[in-house]
Amino acid sequence: MSTEPKSAGCLGVAMKRKEDPRFIQGKGHYVDDISMPGMLFLSLVRSPYPHAEIKSIDISEAMQVPGVKAVITGKDLEAAGLGWLPTFHGLDKQMVLAIGKVLFQYQEVAAVFAETRAAAVDGAEAVQVDYAPLPVVADPFTAKTDEVILRPDRENKTNHIYHWEVGDKDKTATALANSPKRIKERIWFQRCHPAPLEPCGCVAHFDSMGRLQFYVTSQAPHVYRTALAIVTGIPEDKIHVVSPDLGGGFGNKVPVYPGYVCAIVGALKIGRPVKWIETRTENLTSTGFARDYHMDVEIGATADGRLTALHVATTADHGAFDAAADPTKYPAGMFGVVTGSYDFPVAHAEVDAYFTNKAPGGIAYRCSFRVTEASYAIERAMDILADELAIDPVELRRKNFVRKEQFPYPSVLGFTYDSGDYQKTLDVTLEKIGYQALLKEQVEKRARGELMGIGFSTFTEVVGAGPSKHFDILGIKMFDSAEIRIHPTGSGIVRTGTKSQGQGHETTWAQIVGEELGLDPQNIMVEEGDTDTAPYGLGTYASRSTPVAGAAIAMAARRVREKARKVAAHMLEVGEADVEWKDYKFQVKGVPAKSVTMKEVAFAAYTNMAQNEPGLEASYYYDPPNMTFPSGAYVAVVDIDRETGEVKVRRFLAVDDCGTIINPLVVEGQIHGGLTEGFAIAFMQEIQYDKEGNNLNTNFTDYLIPTSLETPAWETGKTVTPSPHHPIGAKGVGESPNVGSPAAFVNAVIDALSPLGVRHIDMPITRDKVWRAIRQAEVLTT
Amino acid sequence: MNLQYSGEERIPVSPDVVWAFVTDPDKVGHCMPEVIDVTVQDPTHVEAVVQVAVGPVRGKFKLKVELQPDPARRRIDLKISGGGFGSAVDMTAGADVVDAGDGTTILKWSGQAVARGPVAAVGGRVLDAQAQKLITQAFGNVRQQLSLAT
Repeated sequence: MSTEPKSAGCLGVAMKRKEDPRFIQGKGHYVDDISMPGMLFLSLVRSPYPHAEIKSIDISEAMQVPGVKAVITGKDLEAAGLGWLPTFHGLDKQMVLAIGKVLFQYQEVAAVFAETRAAAVDGAEAVQVDYAPLPVVADPFTAKTDEVILRPDRENKTNHIYHWEVGDKDKTATALANSPKRIKERIWFQRCHPAPLEPCGCVAHFDSMGRLQFYVTSQAPHVYRTALAIVTGIPEDKIHVVSPDLGGGFGNKVPVYPGYVCAIVGALKIGRPVKWIETRTENLTSTGFARDYHMDVEIGATADGRLTALHVATTADHGAFDAAADPTKYPAGMFGVVTGSYDFPVAHAEVDAYFTNKAPGGIAYRCSFRVTEASYAIERAMDILADELAIDPVELRRKNFVRKEQFPYPSVLGFTYDSGDYQKTLDVTLEKIGYQALLKEQVEKRARGELMGIGFSTFTEVVGAGPSKHFDILGIKMFDSAEIRIHPTGSGIVRTGTKSQGQGHETTWAQIVGEELGLDPQNIMVEEGDTDTAPYGLGTYASRSTPVAGAAIAMAARRVREKARKVAAHMLEVGEADVEWKDYKFQVKGVPAKSVTMKEVAFAAYTNMAQNEPGLEASYYYDPPNMTFPSGAYVAVVDIDRETGEVKVRRFLAVDDCGTIINPLVVEGQIHGGLTEGFAIAFMQEIQYDKEGNNLNTNFTDYLIPTSLETPAWETGKTVTPSPHHPIGAKGVGESPNVGSPAAFVNAVIDALSPLGVRHIDMPITRDKVWRAIRQAEVLTT
Repeated sequence: MNLQYSGEERIPVSPDVVWAFVTDPDKVGHCMPEVIDVTVQDPTHVEAVVQVAVGPVRGKFKLKVELQPDPARRRIDLKISGGGFGSAVDMTAGADVVDAGDGTTILKWSGQAVARGPVAAVGGRVLDAQAQKLITQAFGNVRQQLSLAT
């Protein structure tokens, strides 16, 4: 694998990440590194009750704490018209600080501003809140009864938030009824949390011009600027949002949180900068969680395994507010991709969401909106069907794949898949893992009573939101943008509306510019996250950066190239029509020896431009014509200790098809990271609530993060099926491993336990769950 | 997290002496384990600050205690609520004052508590045993104080 730029082009080159020297030397610049003269610190008073009336709030003792400058409550904000803020899809609102009652444990109740962080915490501890506990609704099935209405502030007095459906309900029911074979299983994708190592935080400061300077951990700085203008009434030109280096995001840093609004209000009220950095517990207990979908999956098939119908009915737990950061028209996100890689003749999917006394969220944790839930549901169900039919799950998948010649493929649930070659990807996987040898080994081990499992996941994602006719957040269409300036000496800068949180944009964006303009990507600077300088964009989440902003960069670069062509024609003393871009330089058609490089043209654009407009820059706002559909074929091999229930992931191979690869090193890193998160979700992580609404996973001793000791060694592979509508054929990959891997892990465990009659175990598959399943099976067979 | 406890103490004094003790808010307040400060509000209300340590969760709880004596002088109920460091606890405790007939008194007590917040989450694995120990210690303190008085 080459690690240096090719003389001809930059795509597919495993350039080392330009940003890494900064990070590995501890020179990253994060929000908590910002310090300003006179800066105050904010600490939030949070509710220990999941549901309670607030009878009174006494701040007198807190105001006596040395260093405390001010305390604000929900009533103060309400009086200023700032009591509530809209959630991103615009269909609900969220209290900034609790007004009248609290709806989830750790909800924000009051804000304390003090000279030091310690004084702010002491002040928060001294705020006396008198609560009257109310009945707790700790799960969506209790919520369904409407015996306790959690949100009387809403017009409809029910805990039911929405019903969403897609597909043909009647035809699906008929097809299922007529299917020779049917399976049905409730599959729960547990509530989990992205848990970025850097929690959320901000510094708010009104400068001498009265302009809000807002430094914040945001994956979508421009959306924040607009949202803050809407919420606070501050004119948008008087708001400057800067998102510096981010220590991970994974969707957690998309929503606007109450702490941000409080910091701004405090800075305005007190006239001094305010910093708010949440603790680990605050991050895990109050910011955007993910998943929590209870999915009743039903598949119909012929006796020989041809799929006939799919029905999925989901009960979704959205917590106290509907803060799922989904596009406006897609309250259940892209869950319609639940047919996966398979050619279902008919299908129907429906989602019913409910309020509960839990933290709000439902964000897209390292996945396009709700795609992970969908992928997990279909990939688990396919294995259950294979087991029922006594068919190899690989063959069941192969038999029902959307075939290569069917692309662009209109799924029965409304998406048009752009491209794919699922058979080929699966073949590569089987070859690399040595499937036949593994099967032989498994037979031998089973004969000895050993538990070995092989689990597959052949998933398809839908990413790159999205086409403006369908996708918006707060009404803003989900385009993205790029602005490129080429300097006289042939270096340049590219700015986009996205914001890297570790994806390597500083490298890959430079490579796209380098590829399109024949320039050295080492000398293309990438700048993101500053709303004063970057063009407007919707940010980085849901695998949209490369499909949308990456396309905008390519298109902006092509505009630069067109402008450069005019200068090149002048330099080559020919008409513009006689100049062609070939082999990464301009040359006279038919006379390759007569050529100029982009670097030479760049200098001329500032020194010898003739009648052409000086300078060499362009911008592009890209509205994607379709989503992109990355896919993959993953396989896990596990061994289970029969006595202890311990699962050992012996091998895991991920073969991804993310279209054109910009930088294989970055892709490899993304896959390793996503697989590690998928591994954690499959085996370790769950945000649990007890029936009284207590959050039981409030720190990293209870919400586990895998270290190198637990993490398996990953094997990877690739196939390349470019997207036909993306300018460079790229599809995005950052989220594929998190989307595709949980099902492979679980399928492998269930495959290992299948001789004992185990059909399904919900994640996380902890040692004790496996142990109990084995013991229970032994009891049943003796 | 719902917790329930019960037990009894034999106290070597008469029921009248026990009754006078358990209806005195200052005395009751000082029987709380790890108590730091007691402030009597009125004959049936007392506020107490206690040191709490459940697993890695440590800090001060500010508790409001309401004494609810039975007019027949046979039972005392206590309603305790409060919290600290982001946690909350709501408890009810009651004790029957039973004349043992030999000049001693049996205090039959029971209680239940609901804990919320970090004390319930982080301390969850050890909370039950710790709370049992504390409530047992509280009624043990009643016995000890009264025994010393004889």
